[in-house]
Amino acid sequence: MPISFRSLSYIYNKDMPYAHKALDDINLDIKEGIITAIIGETGSGKSTLVEHLNALLLPDEGSLQILDYNIVAGQKQRFLKPLRKDVGLVFQFSEYQLFEETVIKDVAFGPLNFGYSIDEAKRRAAEALKLVNISEDLFEASPLELSGGQKRRVAIAGIIACDPKIIVLDEPTAGLDPHGAKEMIALFVSLNKEMNKTIIIVSHDNEMVYNYCEETVVLSHGKIKYHGPTFDLFCDRQKLAEYDLLEPQIVTFRNALIENGFKLSKQARTLDVIAKEIAEQVKR
Amino acid sequence: MNNMVFGKYIPVDSLMHRLDPRAKLIGLFLMIAAVFVPKSWWVFLFIAILITIALLCAKIGIKMIVQSFKPMIMMMIFLLVINTLTIRTGEVMFMIGTYAIYRDAIFNTLFVIVRLLLMISITTLLTATTNPLDLTLGIEWLLKPLEIIHFPTHEVAMMVSIALRFIPTIIEETIRIMNAQKSRGVDFENGRLSQKIAAILSLIVPLFSVAFERAYELADAMEARGYVPGAKRSRYHILKFRFTDYLFILICMAALAVSIASRFYL
Repeated sequence: MPISFRSLSYIYNKDMPYAHKALDDINLDIKEGIITAIIGETGSGKSTLVEHLNALLLPDEGSLQILDYNIVAGQKQRFLKPLRKDVGLVFQFSEYQLFEETVIKDVAFGPLNFGYSIDEAKRRAAEALKLVNISEDLFEASPLELSGGQKRRVAIAGIIACDPKIIVLDEPTAGLDPHGAKEMIALFVSLNKEMNKTIIIVSHDNEMVYNYCEETVVLSHGKIKYHGPTFDLFCDRQKLAEYDLLEPQIVTFRNALIENGFKLSKQARTLDVIAKEIAEQVKR
Repeated sequence: MNNMVFGKYIPVDSLMHRLDPRAKLIGLFLMIAAVFVPKSWWVFLFIAILITIALLCAKIGIKMIVQSFKPMIMMMIFLLVINTLTIRTGEVMFMIGTYAIYRDAIFNTLFVIVRLLLMISITTLLTATTNPLDLTLGIEWLLKPLEIIHFPTHEVAMMVSIALRFIPTIIEETIRIMNAQKSRGVDFENGRLSQKIAAILSLIVPLFSVAFERAYELADAMEARGYVPGAKRSRYHILKFRFTDYLFILICMAALAVSIASRFYL
């Protein structure tokens, strides 16, 4: 297990009259090599959970194991840099973190901090920029002149260039147009499939979660309500009602087909497979 | 950064929170005067008891008030040192080596320190129980008489309230950008000077660009809703003195009266 939370709790404003327990006794194991989604209403503790993965917040109670790093409540941390190199964190509205004069310099900033030589950092930066579809003639432009979507892709390249083993993305598609969002998701899928990165996505977009994330974690009021296969969650109407989640369109369609007498296997999750199975039944 | 206590608003509901901000401002001035007039320890004790009662009514822990004293410790030590060096009247209390420490020096310092502590408690009480926006409304009202000499009270109040409104936003933004840069391997605490400068730069540049963006957005949003500087505006939130507000001011006036009287009778 590359990431495991053990009875971890985190409290905001601990000594104040308005202290707030953001994470409450979290036990969670996130699997290696797959895309996991974290969903839950605003204020459910998603972002707090994510910030623990980079030791930006340290647990008040319990412990957390990430790859070979062990974080225990109340202990001083010594391996912040190697941990942050191995776990790349892309924040919500990451486009606001750009600051260098040129795009390439900004993307090379992370690798330089993690000890790569200037040439190596630039090479990694160029590679990462190509991966996120930023054309070469923009490398020397100022990041502040780019469009919103381009800025976000540059920010993500800044994390990819550090070559992390785990990539965590907080609302990566928020505020993007549908086309841009689709491209972004395709990028994560290819990072997962081709470069074997473990990917964790915090999202509000149930359609995206259903279509691309193998497992899903549902958080509510700082507690884990569900962790398991995404398909099992979204096909269970009782669970959807309980966690107040919207049914993805494909699931609605699938359920309507089943109610009308079609037999669909558990593999029929995507439109393509559903179409194939129906086609066979219609032929007969 | 989030641990600053002095001047922080504590959003709970209490008797003190519900008082009119103008009443609390007037009360603040009366009580500060009441702290600075007397020369008797008994009056300080009396005021301290009043403040404790107010704290209980405000549902603010004593712990928080004690925390707000922390930044003052250095100043108190400084005061004590200066006073023991300069005040050389009264009887000798004790000797440090061959240097005499005088009774007046110690007592004068204690007096000043107690005054400061009381004053900080009163101010913390005001800022902890009053929403910053209400506070600016109160200040605007208090500045009203200056309009006779064409002082732009409303504009000043608007600027102050925008500034106050954006402090938490900017702090939040700062933490967010710092976290993002930490994730890219920036170390804000350790490192050589050149590394530290690079670290600060990676924070300041995005912060400025965000702040400007916010400012433009806010200006557009205000204009879109018909804001014209200097125009007469009606108010959604109308301040109203109630019985408890008058009672509160009366208690503060009484405290001031007691401390003035103490100068003549104690």
